[in-house]
Amino acid sequence: MKRLVRAALDDLIPSGGPMPGIIDAGWDDFVDQYKREASTQLWLGVVAGAVVYTVTPILTVRRPVLSYQLPPDLRDTHADRVTNHRFYLVRQAVFLLKLSAGFAWGADAGVRSKINLPPYESDPGTWRS
Amino acid sequence: MSHISHRRRWNNLALEADYVVVGSGAGGATVANQLARGGADVVLVEAGAWRDPQDYPQSAFGGMRDLMDDFGTTITRGRALWPVVQARTVGGTTVVNSAIAVTTPDDIFELWSERFGIGGEVFRSEVLRFQSELDEELCVEVAPAHTRGRTNELAMAGSKALGIEGHYMRRYVKDCEGSGYCMSGCRAGHKKSLNLNFIPEVLERGGRLLSNAPVKRVVFEGNRATGVVGRFFHPTTKRKGGRFQVRARRAVVVAASATHSPCLLQRSNLRSPALGRYFRAHPGAGIFGVFEDPVDMNIGNTQGWASLEHRNKGGFKLETLSVPPEMAMTRLKGGGRKYVERLADYRHLTMWVHALRAESTGTVRNGLFDKPAVSYTLDSGDMHRFREGMATVAKLQFAAGAKAIIPGIYGLPYKLGPDEVHLIEDGPTDPRNYLAILSHLFGGCVMGTNPHTSVCDVHGKVHGHEGLYISDASMIPSVLGVNPQHTIMGLARWVGANLLES
Repeated sequence: MKRLVRAALDDLIPSGGPMPGIIDAGWDDFVDQYKREASTQLWLGVVAGAVVYTVTPILTVRRPVLSYQLPPDLRDTHADRVTNHRFYLVRQAVFLLKLSAGFAWGADAGVRSKINLPPYESDPGTWRS
Repeated sequence: MSHISHRRRWNNLALEADYVVVGSGAGGATVANQLARGGADVVLVEAGAWRDPQDYPQSAFGGMRDLMDDFGTTITRGRALWPVVQARTVGGTTVVNSAIAVTTPDDIFELWSERFGIGGEVFRSEVLRFQSELDEELCVEVAPAHTRGRTNELAMAGSKALGIEGHYMRRYVKDCEGSGYCMSGCRAGHKKSLNLNFIPEVLERGGRLLSNAPVKRVVFEGNRATGVVGRFFHPTTKRKGGRFQVRARRAVVVAASATHSPCLLQRSNLRSPALGRYFRAHPGAGIFGVFEDPVDMNIGNTQGWASLEHRNKGGFKLETLSVPPEMAMTRLKGGGRKYVERLADYRHLTMWVHALRAESTGTVRNGLFDKPAVSYTLDSGDMHRFREGMATVAKLQFAAGAKAIIPGIYGLPYKLGPDEVHLIEDGPTDPRNYLAILSHLFGGCVMGTNPHTSVCDVHGKVHGHEGLYISDASMIPSVLGVNPQHTIMGLARWVGANLLES
């Protein structure tokens, strides 16, 4: 499932643009922390979002294939259209995927440096005992 | 021991006190503090962990993990799936909000008196007196000029250009540095969240605090509440720990929030036709302005400017809101290469929002795994006013000099120019077209005089039961149209003062 989520996110926030893509922003390291620390319900939502993303090219670019089987240009078109699809649950599922990616992307030091923000200090995860 | 943060399985705990207060947010911490000052023996029970400023996370992920209720995954069940935002930590939502202090407006007291038969002059003057005390104790001051940041100054310029009221906010913050981290907890400790003042004072006065201690149910003997039971929960491993039982000699005060208080009383088999009903909120949504020069919205007060111009006519409040890149990217539409280009605009964006004084009501029910199930949908009248709020934010952005706006409304173009605001004014009224959140929550255990339509009376006493009180936003029977923390705390002091007198 991690590979499916990774492939979907790589399409949604690809590398090579003016900002780092999600893979450059450390998704592969983040995903293990996410699975461990986020609620199971949230991780299941992310997986569901990735599944929806993967099976919906038929709705966006009229091709009866899985998203990772599309040629690069159509994949980019699918990534854009699926976030704005007329079916509410489709775009909400992908919204959840983007939300989760955002946790990694927005916290990445490289991304933050590009938008003039200092890197985050670590999240200690401590509490008063 | 005055603070017990966790007990291992089988290592159970039994305590007794005059009062047990469930929940340590604006309502719970304030009433516990009031009772402790009055000499009562208080046990405060909080589902979340006690985190000090050095424990606060900085990233949005850390904030959701460490400070938010159930990782922020509570969403409304209704036509649209909108997040219901509240904290779960010692100090409650006061740790993660923007510390905005707004005195309860006079028209709210009039509304409560006319529609619900609550209050009167003594009630009004006492609540206002308590709020005045809170202003002093929690160092309420207007956001200082050097900490405002460009986004708040632009909003002020926009409101002047539009000819509408606008003001810099009064906040519970002393010596703000404008670091922009209000919502993940102020590491500098300048924000006067209640984990830093009222709760330590409760302990200094001999009170006790159980943290990581979600309450399962209130215990009754006949119609009298005599305590609470629950089980510790480890905040990292998420494993259940030992059981706890706290016996209350005088009263149990429920202050677990507008979603958790009704659920707790439902789990406790409290019979009231009004329990879980009349849930209300201020649904909020925002619009990005795109400015020629960098705005750097994350520098300065997270929220420093507001307008009450439309509070009565129109029914919404306007505010600035700085969102970190983690959250901003989810609100920008699209995917793929075009989307990554859009993300590069972050430094040039402002996010200004409106919070609707919605009349629609919903319900709260205890759901699976004791998670609140919130059913809530805005009706047509509210959706028309919601849309008007969005259009007003758009006009404000252009009046402040934005070259374009990003409305984030499904069905509308990604960016709109100054002559395209009518597309929002004539835009959709289906809530599914908007990305909104519910951040100010009210009701579920509303106060009133009629036991068929309310759960408690004006003193927070639950109808038909002895020794059981409500002291949080769940007792508020209407929306306020302003940020609720000051009202919640004023009411909590009122409830506490009456408990001490009785």
